[in-house]
Amino acid sequence: MQQQTPAKKKKVKVPRVVGGVETMVEIEVDDEGGPEWGPNDKHTLLNHRLTRVDAPVKVSGAALYTHDRRLPGMLYGRVVRSPHAHARVLRVDASAARRIPGVRAVVGATDEEVVEGSNKAAGEAAKKNRTEAGGAEAAAGGKVVLFAGQPVAAVAADTPEVAEDAVRAIRVEYEVLPHVVRAEDSMKEGAPKVTPDPNEQNVEEREKRGDAAKTEAAFAQCDVIVEAEYRTPILHHSCLETHGNVVEYRGGDAATVYASTQGTFTIPSDAAQELGLKESAVTAIVEHMGGGFGSKFGIGIEGMLACQLSKQAKAPVHLMLTRKDEFLLAGNRSGSWQKFKAGATRDGRLVALRATQYRLGGLGRGSQAGQPYIYTAANFYREVFSVHTHEDASRAMRAPGHPQANFAMESLMDELAYKLGIDPLEFRKKNLKDTAYHRQLDRGAREIGWERRNRTPGGGAGALKRGMGCAVGTWGGGGNNQCKVDVTVARDGSVTVAVGSQDLGTGTRTLTRAIVAEELGLGINEVAERIGDSRLGNANSSGGSTTSASLSPSVKDAATNARLAVAAKVAPLLGGAKPEEVKFAAGQVSAGGKTLAWKQACAALPSAGITAHGEWKSNLQASGVHGACFAEVEVDTETGHVRAVKMVQVQDVGLPLNRLAVESQINGGMIQSLGMVLYEGRVMDAQLGLQLNPGFGDYKLPGSLEIPELVPLIDDEDKREAVIGVGEAAIIPSVGALANAVFNACGVRVRELPITPDKILMGLTKGGQTA
Amino acid sequence: MKAFEWVSPASVGEAANLLKSAPAAKDVDDAARPIAGGQDLLTTMKDYITRPARVVNLKGIRGLDRIEPDGRKGLRIGALVTLAELEESAEVRRDFPALAEAAHSIATPQIRNLGTVGGNLCQRPRCWYYRLEEAVCLKKGGSECFAATGENKYNAILGGGPSYIVHPSDLAPVLVALGASVAVTGADGKRTIPLEKFFTLPSEGNIRRENVLRNDEIITEIDVPASGFAAHSTYLKFKERDSLDFALASVAAAVELGPEKTVKQARIVLGGVAPIPWRVPKAEGYLAGKTLSADALAGAARLALEGAEPLGKNAYKVPLTETLVRRALAKASGLSV
Repeated sequence: MQQQTPAKKKKVKVPRVVGGVETMVEIEVDDEGGPEWGPNDKHTLLNHRLTRVDAPVKVSGAALYTHDRRLPGMLYGRVVRSPHAHARVLRVDASAARRIPGVRAVVGATDEEVVEGSNKAAGEAAKKNRTEAGGAEAAAGGKVVLFAGQPVAAVAADTPEVAEDAVRAIRVEYEVLPHVVRAEDSMKEGAPKVTPDPNEQNVEEREKRGDAAKTEAAFAQCDVIVEAEYRTPILHHSCLETHGNVVEYRGGDAATVYASTQGTFTIPSDAAQELGLKESAVTAIVEHMGGGFGSKFGIGIEGMLACQLSKQAKAPVHLMLTRKDEFLLAGNRSGSWQKFKAGATRDGRLVALRATQYRLGGLGRGSQAGQPYIYTAANFYREVFSVHTHEDASRAMRAPGHPQANFAMESLMDELAYKLGIDPLEFRKKNLKDTAYHRQLDRGAREIGWERRNRTPGGGAGALKRGMGCAVGTWGGGGNNQCKVDVTVARDGSVTVAVGSQDLGTGTRTLTRAIVAEELGLGINEVAERIGDSRLGNANSSGGSTTSASLSPSVKDAATNARLAVAAKVAPLLGGAKPEEVKFAAGQVSAGGKTLAWKQACAALPSAGITAHGEWKSNLQASGVHGACFAEVEVDTETGHVRAVKMVQVQDVGLPLNRLAVESQINGGMIQSLGMVLYEGRVMDAQLGLQLNPGFGDYKLPGSLEIPELVPLIDDEDKREAVIGVGEAAIIPSVGALANAVFNACGVRVRELPITPDKILMGLTKGGQTA
Repeated sequence: MKAFEWVSPASVGEAANLLKSAPAAKDVDDAARPIAGGQDLLTTMKDYITRPARVVNLKGIRGLDRIEPDGRKGLRIGALVTLAELEESAEVRRDFPALAEAAHSIATPQIRNLGTVGGNLCQRPRCWYYRLEEAVCLKKGGSECFAATGENKYNAILGGGPSYIVHPSDLAPVLVALGASVAVTGADGKRTIPLEKFFTLPSEGNIRRENVLRNDEIITEIDVPASGFAAHSTYLKFKERDSLDFALASVAAAVELGPEKTVKQARIVLGGVAPIPWRVPKAEGYLAGKTLSADALAGAARLALEGAEPLGKNAYKVPLTETLVRRALAKASGLSV
């Protein structure tokens, strides 16, 4: 950005995440120039491979997560869940539970009125956490529970075991009401209405877009047409640290909440409301947190119950959800059901596409990117609906709606390409306008050896067959102006960067240090960081991949201001140089041929040192990334077993603050898609309305033996000198790539995830078609 | 889990008496239970699926943790031998390779370090309806096997009804194939039970249990006899997820070959497809006297699955298990077919 008149303002559109839902808002920002990152290849720390500064405490177990907090007099909370998918609570009797020695508090179970209150709380929590929700306020429907697992009460006791006994000692009498947990059942005439919201029917239209008539007519020009349906099940965030809080309130007018959250600053107001305190009297601490993936905004129903228990007992309450709670009541990625008719011409152009998209978000509205996703179709028409079921509301989950859309659209593109007899890679390029994808596809193809792919899907001798697939994806990743950062330089030369932001996995501790250290010409370990504390500078929630692009400009601005402030104090020792002429490099401060060691220079600071403030600068970040993935798999056609062999993913990211962290994000994205494509999926029993696999035994995450060779490639052809978030982008293209590789290997097109051995075997016996 | 009394007897007899003398339970799942490695029992207790008022700790009993020769080229395996010890035993690996393979295939190294041979044979079903506290199924005293018409991808295709669980043990199919028996001590004395008679079908035995053990009986030892086929045995287990999973289907196979690749005798036992380890005598008989060939293996595989009655969502287990039978037989007999 060029130098402008100071204090000049400009308007920019930025993503803002509320409860995990990203919306674009217009804001006014300074347009006065300010710092720049400079060329991506000229950094001394940034754009290098930096080991996480908190790695030692994490791998040694010394890092204190919320789950690890132990406070004097602390009680353990547990939640009483509804065992029915749809039921009216008739009576609650907690008298037996209260008689158990060690039980200190029970909420939501004293009488009917309190039950109603508890349900209302559940609804409120769901609303705040709504993300994709909406229908979730349904939970506020008084004494009616709307999904199996919905909290109706909670207890706090001296030990977790006593609390578990107390949970089972609470007698809840239900009038069971008819339920639906399958989209097909919910759509049937006469199906029980799922949400009490009169404006939200079981099947609710969300969007109609495109030209239906023109699209229908365009099918006449097509040389090939594919009609197909694709489905993905509800998935779970599977955070290694379950949702929860330790609420420390012992009476009085202040409280501290240790929270496992991706939004430090969402906690105090939520907790204050439950505790009856001023927001400013509640401190949130998020020193380390064990994963959120979009499911941890706000204090949640579990946090509200913890506050109520703590308030009742006047003692700290540790209420971390059990793993089973986590599956049943802490949100999920919405499932999808997508029906297509699509046609292309012999020369490989996607001419017409009609899509009917159902988002399967339980009580929530779900999410799903609109088709034809990032491809260009000359004519398209789509209708998008939410279909409700009696299941916990979906929440944001790493790239909400994109993996689902990617699986369907990339499978469809593949089906068209094979039907046309065109290389699936070439077919994609013909229908992708943005040349960044072309560049990335070519690079990925070289890296994996695309020419080795199975020329005839399912071809080749022997039971073990290899195949390859590819796909592309996109995300935003821009930032917003919520981060307020302070950098303090003490007279002894110590440097601290402070901001309340959390580390969701972003590598917040490392990137904040690195930016400041580079600016001041120091080593990364010569800067300390303070994060995860609501008493520090404000920060946005970590959603929408906005953390890096929101935080790093403010850090850069604060670091620049700190450098100039130090320079101003040191300049007299350097022959009266102008502050902006003072160089900070390699632990030295120099100007006019004179050089001081960092500590010598800092001795010139006032006794309190200097503290410089930083604000967000829009020019230091950007939005919009591209990714391409190639996967190679081996299918045992006699057992249906799929082994992922290799995955290559090319991702652009503007300026990679920390190459190692970006590579880790890409690896993590590939692994999470591997889970989605081959192993994971919620299984519900239609008759009972219960989830059958609420645990890591039957909800199968990939383990170490499932992980293929992973090749994460940062696309350095992207020369933008701006920070862009990449956490979500990384999970998208690998979904389609893996599914397409399975088809290329064995010739069976599995249109419903996960692609498990049973589907492949049955597909092989039916001649290559399933679903 | 429900609070319980923990007792640590020093002898098997004392343990059996402690099981017998426990206060009468109103439900079979409230009855006193013995615990060894606890790798299965604790999971059911944490989910309140079993709620014993007394837990009898067997780990303090001496002499049950050894693998010893039986003097007739067979092995006596103490019930407290861990799965890791079984997997690593040089004798087991040499003379009963299928048993070492089966032990290795179980769960994770951490679980194998604690889980015992006796416990592995006595573990409860993995059916997700059984494991779900909220679903009161037939196995838990309810009136319905929800798997019969529900989500039965992992359930039985052979020997099912009225319950459709599959037996989860990986050691059991191998031990049945090897002709093993278990020594059992109860409050009223000892008995020896051929493993093939140990497990019970839901249609035959107590629907709430998977074997003939009385509540006061404890497995003390597993006797694995020498045989002409033991050294040519193998165990193939198919998992949906290699890192940690129960069998979708598995096959224990043992083959004694005569001259010219003729089969003197064969043993084939299926796991993961029936409520008990499912021996297939017809397929074994078919192979006897035959020269091994791809056709012979395919014929045995077909016979092994004869009579399979898949439920709504597990028809895939038929071709899957057929493949495993062919591959296991080929591997056991050292052929590449």
